[in-house]
Amino acid sequence: MGYKDEIVKSMEWLAEKPDTVFLGQSVSYSGNAIYNTLKTVPDQKKIETPVFEELQMGLSMGMALEGYVPITCYPRFDFLILACNQLVNHLDKINYMSKGMMKPRVIIRTSIGAKKPLDGGIQHTQDHTEAFKNLLKDINVVLLNEPDEIFSAFELAYQRDDFKSTLIIEWGDYYNDK
Amino acid sequence: MKIPDYLKKKRKIELTEKDLIDYEEKVKKYYEDAKIIAPVHLSKGNEQEILEIFQYVDKDDWVFSSWRNHFHALLHGLDPDILMEDIIDGRSMSTNSIDPKFYSSSIVGGIIPIAVGTAKALKLKKSSNRVWCFIGDMTFETGIFYEAHKYVNNFDLPLQFVVEDNNLSTNTPTDETWGGIKRQIPADVIYYSYERGYPHHGTGNWVLF
Repeated sequence: MGYKDEIVKSMEWLAEKPDTVFLGQSVSYSGNAIYNTLKTVPDQKKIETPVFEELQMGLSMGMALEGYVPITCYPRFDFLILACNQLVNHLDKINYMSKGMMKPRVIIRTSIGAKKPLDGGIQHTQDHTEAFKNLLKDINVVLLNEPDEIFSAFELAYQRDDFKSTLIIEWGDYYNDK
Repeated sequence: MKIPDYLKKKRKIELTEKDLIDYEEKVKKYYEDAKIIAPVHLSKGNEQEILEIFQYVDKDDWVFSSWRNHFHALLHGLDPDILMEDIIDGRSMSTNSIDPKFYSSSIVGGIIPIAVGTAKALKLKKSSNRVWCFIGDMTFETGIFYEAHKYVNNFDLPLQFVVEDNNLSTNTPTDETWGGIKRQIPADVIYYSYERGYPHHGTGNWVLF
């Protein structure tokens, strides 16, 4: 199974869970590659949001505090930068701040923008993986390089015993290449 | 201060103005005795307003507050002794609890999106509970409040904003930085102004650590 199909399989598996919800821009409407991996996710599991990246991340954390497992989608790594206040200052620090009492589990999806066949340019194709590994103390950061890593990464993100949140990074180019 | 008609009283508050003031006096003493090796943000001057507001807060509601949170935490039912332990442990600016549900943060505006998310979840669950989000006047002026308030209103989420206006952000006058004019307070937002009884942080006295 190829890279994109493994992601679709993972989303379908997550969609079967009663506590998951998929949110972000273009989860319900076309406009980016991530949308194409959510076409088989039932509409009632999706929340199409305005473009408000920081609010989206906090909203995801808030829903997680009430027991949901949000799969919060940022179509490009460049856009995730706008959510850093919530990601770095709150979701990443909640374990320490609450002395381990609060366990919001959020799965964050983002993608390194494709350069083929069209190059999205310097503001749409950045890979900030190493920077985020340095920024985040508690959130698990996973870069999906190969198709056979994908399902297990999402499975672990949903099931991990420590309830830590996971940032999962996809390669836009691999949707076609692998 | 006007409480919106859709809110009903949920509980009788046992704490008094004196209890609140005395609690902060106790923190002040610990701080001045150098027993707290971290900033403290003490509350004073808004006892009447906050005592009235918390009559409308159900014990199972979520409460979100900021770095100046001791009154909110006490009134929502956090154990005063555990709260004091947290303060002495350097957690004055980010006290948190799951029972009662209480989240505070020392980042301006940081609580707002999270409060929106808990309100969204409560609505999806058809819960009768509410989320309360206490913010200062500078936070009220930020873009994140604008976005959140619009989203909450348009989706009719159970989130009540409360603006506590002392016209100061640390020591910067909010109105001056915005050219002398603040935004109009929406009708659904509880608003009160007060004079801050303590400095932004510390007690106003020099402490030798």
